[in-house]
Amino acid sequence: MKRCIMMLLATVVMAQGVFAQEKSITIWWAQWDPAVALQELGDEFTEQTGIGVEVHQIPWLSYQDQVFLNFGNKQTDFDIVIGDSQWIGRGATKGLYLELTDWLPGAVDMQTIHPRAARYLCEYPPGSSKFFAAPCETDAIGFVYRKDWFEDPDEKAAFKTKYGRELMVPETWEEFRDIAEFFQRPAQKRYGCSLLTGRGYDSIVMGFQPFLWAWGGAWGDPETFKVQGHLNSAGAVAGLDFFKGLMHFTPEGGTNADYFFNLEAFSNGSTAMVLDYFPFYPGIVATMGDQAGFFKVPSHNGQRFISLGGQGFSISTKTTPEKQALAKQFIAWFSQTEIQKKWITYPGSFTANTELLSSEAFAAASPYNTTFAESLDDLQDFWNVPVYNELIAASVRHLGAALDGTVASADALNALAQEHEMIMMEAGLLEMK
Amino acid sequence: MKILRLLFVGCYLSVAMLPLIWLLLTSFKLREESITVHAKYLPSLAAEVGPDDPYFRANLDGYRQLAAVYQGSNHSFFHYLGNSLLIGGFSTFCSVLIGTCAAYGFSRFRVPGSKDWLFFILSTRFLPPLAVVVPVLMMYREFDLQNSYLGLILLYTAFNLSLAVWLMKGFIDEIPTAYEEAALVDGYTRLQAFVQIILPRAASGMAVTAVFCLISAWNEYGFAMTLNNQQAVTVPVYFAGLQGNVQGLPWPQISAGVLLFVAPIIVFTILVRKHLLRGVTFGTIKH
Amino acid sequence: MNQIPGRRRDWIQWGFVGPALLLLIAMNVFPLIYSIVLSFTNADLVGGEWKFVGGLNYKFIFKFAKYGQALRTTALFVLLAVSAELVLGFGLALALLERFRGKTLVLTALMVPMMLPQAVIALFWKLVLNGNYGIFNQLLAGLGFRQPQWITDPDLKLLSVLLVDVWMWTPFMMLISLAALNAIPGYIYEAAAIDRASRWRIFRRITLPMCTPLLGLAVLLRATDALKQFDLVMAITGPNDPATQTLSALLYQAVFRDGKVGLGTAYSYVILVLVIALASIFLRYMDSLQAQQEEVAR
Repeated sequence: MKRCIMMLLATVVMAQGVFAQEKSITIWWAQWDPAVALQELGDEFTEQTGIGVEVHQIPWLSYQDQVFLNFGNKQTDFDIVIGDSQWIGRGATKGLYLELTDWLPGAVDMQTIHPRAARYLCEYPPGSSKFFAAPCETDAIGFVYRKDWFEDPDEKAAFKTKYGRELMVPETWEEFRDIAEFFQRPAQKRYGCSLLTGRGYDSIVMGFQPFLWAWGGAWGDPETFKVQGHLNSAGAVAGLDFFKGLMHFTPEGGTNADYFFNLEAFSNGSTAMVLDYFPFYPGIVATMGDQAGFFKVPSHNGQRFISLGGQGFSISTKTTPEKQALAKQFIAWFSQTEIQKKWITYPGSFTANTELLSSEAFAAASPYNTTFAESLDDLQDFWNVPVYNELIAASVRHLGAALDGTVASADALNALAQEHEMIMMEAGLLEMK
Repeated sequence: MKILRLLFVGCYLSVAMLPLIWLLLTSFKLREESITVHAKYLPSLAAEVGPDDPYFRANLDGYRQLAAVYQGSNHSFFHYLGNSLLIGGFSTFCSVLIGTCAAYGFSRFRVPGSKDWLFFILSTRFLPPLAVVVPVLMMYREFDLQNSYLGLILLYTAFNLSLAVWLMKGFIDEIPTAYEEAALVDGYTRLQAFVQIILPRAASGMAVTAVFCLISAWNEYGFAMTLNNQQAVTVPVYFAGLQGNVQGLPWPQISAGVLLFVAPIIVFTILVRKHLLRGVTFGTIKH
Repeated sequence: MNQIPGRRRDWIQWGFVGPALLLLIAMNVFPLIYSIVLSFTNADLVGGEWKFVGGLNYKFIFKFAKYGQALRTTALFVLLAVSAELVLGFGLALALLERFRGKTLVLTALMVPMMLPQAVIALFWKLVLNGNYGIFNQLLAGLGFRQPQWITDPDLKLLSVLLVDVWMWTPFMMLISLAALNAIPGYIYEAAAIDRASRWRIFRRITLPMCTPLLGLAVLLRATDALKQFDLVMAITGPNDPATQTLSALLYQAVFRDGKVGLGTAYSYVILVLVIALASIFLRYMDSLQAQQEEVAR
């Protein structure tokens, strides 16, 4: 009798397990606050529909490696991957991301999506209206600064004396430079700024871009894939030189500062202005409160360009059709306006819905939201072609050498342009000469 | 001369021990105090310390929080410790077992081409693990062995086999054949002779081999990182994977974890220290 | 000597030796062959169709500077690391030769670095060498020295990796040196003392030559290990840093970041051939040294 009951119980438990397994999806994302928010929304989805949602978070530094390693398996461990915007070319051309062209416009009202977000996060090739990702998290870089230092009367007075103008949030890069110089006091372990210069992944590329673009350069021609003349133009070289010049006002190790270095440099109270992606800021807001203020990337000669970030929902082709359908259901649910309204209340979660972006609720949700919303119109992204990784790797090496001073800016950009073209030619994007 | 010697050793010792002492100290700190700009190296039990003091608030948080699950992982440190134990233990057991048998075979029989086999076994250590892992990964994908315990155990067993065979051959070569011959004459089968006569005498050799195989599997990172990164994850991969955590690396927990992780190794090493030399030189050194 | 005659031996010997050889063939030979095949294809890490591309991968390796650069960096690293470890390890062994109170404790303490997981310890060294809050620099500052930027200064990055490697593996060299020194029979020294040879002469003419075979073995073992160095580079600077990009780092970048499996395997074959060639030359040299020694002994 006892045995019968045990077997019955076992069967019931197993059935539950099987049941539970069938109706659930696994989402992979990087480890940061927005992923925590997504899990909470996912739990709500489960309550409403009975479909389980598990958000598996992987720290940024190993995120890309793990995702693509997993994509090589016969079946991926995830159903949805919230991939970085640059991955979309690789995902699309290697048949890893499910094509959503026919489904997406029906599930998400693309009119409400900010055009830059749609273009860079969802389409491949950009502008082709072929969709491989649904909008999830829009992102941009922005500055956090020590509001209390800026508002300190002694500092203000000293700054006015030295530079002849008020100490306030910089509008241009030149103003930024002055402020950084002013706060650079290594003897007291105080530093002016920390920009993005990390070599581990793509920090230095994201950090350099605003300068490249604002000074009139570009990564290349998006139609012909030519790089020479754009990446090593006089403007680009000038931009790189300015970027290099700012290195004098950084903490030690500031020439290899990635997203996490910058967070630490700000939270240990040593640096006045720090650049990072907005979703990294909730922790700082929580620990430093009023000491932290935000401003958007400065301009040069009236030109302002801001590195885009952000990830979209991409459905894996290497999972079962049932799971793919469930995934679509979740994405459609997430994209509804009521859910998006909830999404924006979480710190670090940014919608792509233009209406919500300009709403009061959004502005009130976190101190950096207004700055973020203002940054969206100036967003631009790096290449998202399938060989983006090699392009980034080459950029990291040459830009790094330029910042370290081992190579002159012009030489570094010349060499980089050459290498980029070689990579493009190898990939069949650029015609061989 | 003696003073020079003392100075040299003293200098080296202090420099070499510095990171270890710092590791120990960090394991008793709070996270914020492990990355202060002014180093804190004196423990204090006070409730408050100044930011520039060399004092830090000593506590067991580092150790206690080993049981915490970090965002981005699914389990606490102890789960991964269990994985390492399982994978390390099994692969060591298999290496020693299979290796001892093979060593016996090479030692007592004239296996054709034995010199070549033995060199082949040694040469498996020449290639960088990253070079070998790629075809292994593709092979494992066919059989669904990646992210499994079996997969990594197989791999570690195979890679430690070279060490095990060389070491055990050295030990077994030293056991005189007289005992087996007597046993065979008495009617024992070869297998019985092996089990009842050789194994007990080779026991200390097997212990040494086991320790070295365990150390190798315990600390291994390259293979573990590429093959087992979702399930059956071992401790080195877990720790290295905590990098890039938005809350920052939990240095006290990592320090505490490393100390706990290395403790069994230190204990074993002390136990077999007399045979240490043999192990690191593949048994080519006789006493 | 230990050979057993008899016909049943064939069956039985394979019974003992078989499982080991089978496992080794499955896990070593088979992947080796598979990867040779792969080196002639354009296989991608994420799977999908691949086709044969002939010697294209090998052409790339000889065409692009970064492969040669990685080779040079690795060679430099191995040379510096092994030399430093040899000198320090041997020096330590000389200093610790005699018995003294607490010798076991000192030896055990010195050996701890060898037993730690490289990948994690490298992370920890990053903490110690950090420019902003690392204690190493704070100590240097306290002693009045300049504070170098260990991890970000391009001239110092390789040195940082070297530092950790030397810290971890000098005990290994020390261990072997101790064994070698201990193995020299006492009577040789006594004979030399009778001849009233100076300490330096004894060292040069007796101690060193008698240690050479063992030290040579140690150097070979350590060098082949240092060649494979990956954990430290990965943790300290990442795989894409030209200052520290060793062979394994470049492999990682090519295979796991760029997804170029074919290129990666081709590269590892070039390396393997090089290593085997170098190892054979070295072993032959050691053999000749050994033969020389035996001549002298006679």
